[in-house]
Parts: sequence; structure tokens; C-alpha cells
Amino acid sequence: MDELREHPLMLTLRDAISGDGFLAGITLSGRALMRKEEDGKWWMYGVRPAGLAESGSTIEEAFAHFSGRYRETLFDIAQENSTFDDFRSEVERFFYEVDENPEDERLWESALTALRMGKAAPPEAFSNLPRKSPESNPSQITIERLDASGKRFMPSDNVRDTYSMPEVVAA
Amino acid sequence: MLESCAPGSSVRLATHSRVVTYNDKVYRSLPKFDNIELGHVRKMIRHLGIDLECARKYLAL
Repeated sequence: MDELREHPLMLTLRDAISGDGFLAGITLSGRALMRKEEDGKWWMYGVRPAGLAESGSTIEEAFAHFSGRYRETLFDIAQENSTFDDFRSEVERFFYEVDENPEDERLWESALTALRMGKAAPPEAFSNLPRKSPESNPSQITIERLDASGKRFMPSDNVRDTYSMPEVVAA
Repeated sequence: MLESCAPGSSVRLATHSRVVTYNDKVYRSLPKFDNIELGHVRKMIRHLGIDLECARKYLAL
């Protein structure tokens, strides 16, 4: 069995972002492709959202840098949009805008297919990650206004930033 | 590279990143550092649909 070169990952990120007179809660269920490049670093390329890349000397560091850059992008969007509706529209555009050259998305899908057909196995660093079903966890982003009156906050709202591998058996 | 391979593109500085617009698409996450690693440039090229062969004349992609 070949060792996988491109690693399909599933992401969950949750943030509270302050804007001009509003507080937004953003929950992302996304996709990214990770691979070791010629510079010796692990590079994490966004699939959804597509317009994002970061690197690290370990996969954990690459994910930390990737989620940090994602958060900074949200900060920039908050800085540039003065109403919640404008902010939400721009975050949705950022999340759903696909690559003009969809190589990363194609590699994500073909890596998943190779895993599921038993043609390739992830190296140990990835094989120990939690597994999630892509079918049960579609790519999506939700943006809600947290400072709206009547909003009740609960400890169960808290979500840890995570990355996981897709389940090998289709749901 | 952008001037030659992405004519009509624009680059502006946001608080945390460079924002590059081309081909009706926006790449919002290019770092503001002077030395930008090639992985960022590769992703920007794929996202915006910049001609890779043209870009290779300027960068070791």
C-alpha cells in the first residue's frame, strides 16, 4: 500500500469577532489539504475556505498558523465592513469563493477516494487523528449576531478548534 | 510578477494581510512580510487563476 502524500483534513473553527457595533459568532466546518513541500515544511492549503494557506514545521504548528491566519482574515473583514449584514456577506463570499484552479479540491477528493479504496494509508502523524464523516459534516459556515437582545449563552456553545481525517468508510 | 502575469490586478494593505484582487476574485490572506514564502504565492496563483507558466518566469515555483 502506498503512503499518502496529500492529506485531506476536516476543520472545525469557532470564533467571536467584534465589529463596528456588533459581535458576531462564526462557526466554520471546512476542508483543507496538507502536504510536505520542498521547503521541508508542512503546508496547509484551504479547500473551503479556498483562499488561505499556512505552514509549520509540524502538522500541529501548520494548523495553529492556518487557524491564526483565518482569524486575522476575519479581523480584516470586520475592520472593512461597518454593518453586521455587510460583514456576514463578505465572510460568506470569502468562505464559498472557490479556487479558479481547483487543484487542491481535486487532490482532496482523490486522496479521500484512495483512502476509501484502500490504495493508500496516511503516515502515523495523520492516522492517529480523530475521524469524521464528510457526508455528515458538510462544508458550511454560520454567522450569527451574538449581541442581539434575548440571546442566551450556554457553556455548550463552546467549540474547540479541531482538525480531523475523513472516515474511511462512507457514511 | 503580478504586473506581468495578472494585468489589472490590484494589491492593497489591510490591517493584517495583503488583499489581492484579480479575475473577479479576492485573495485576502497574503502575508504582509517582506519575504513571502512560496506556498502562499502558489495558493494565491491557484485561487486567482494566474498563469502558472508566466509566474514561473519570475519565481521558483
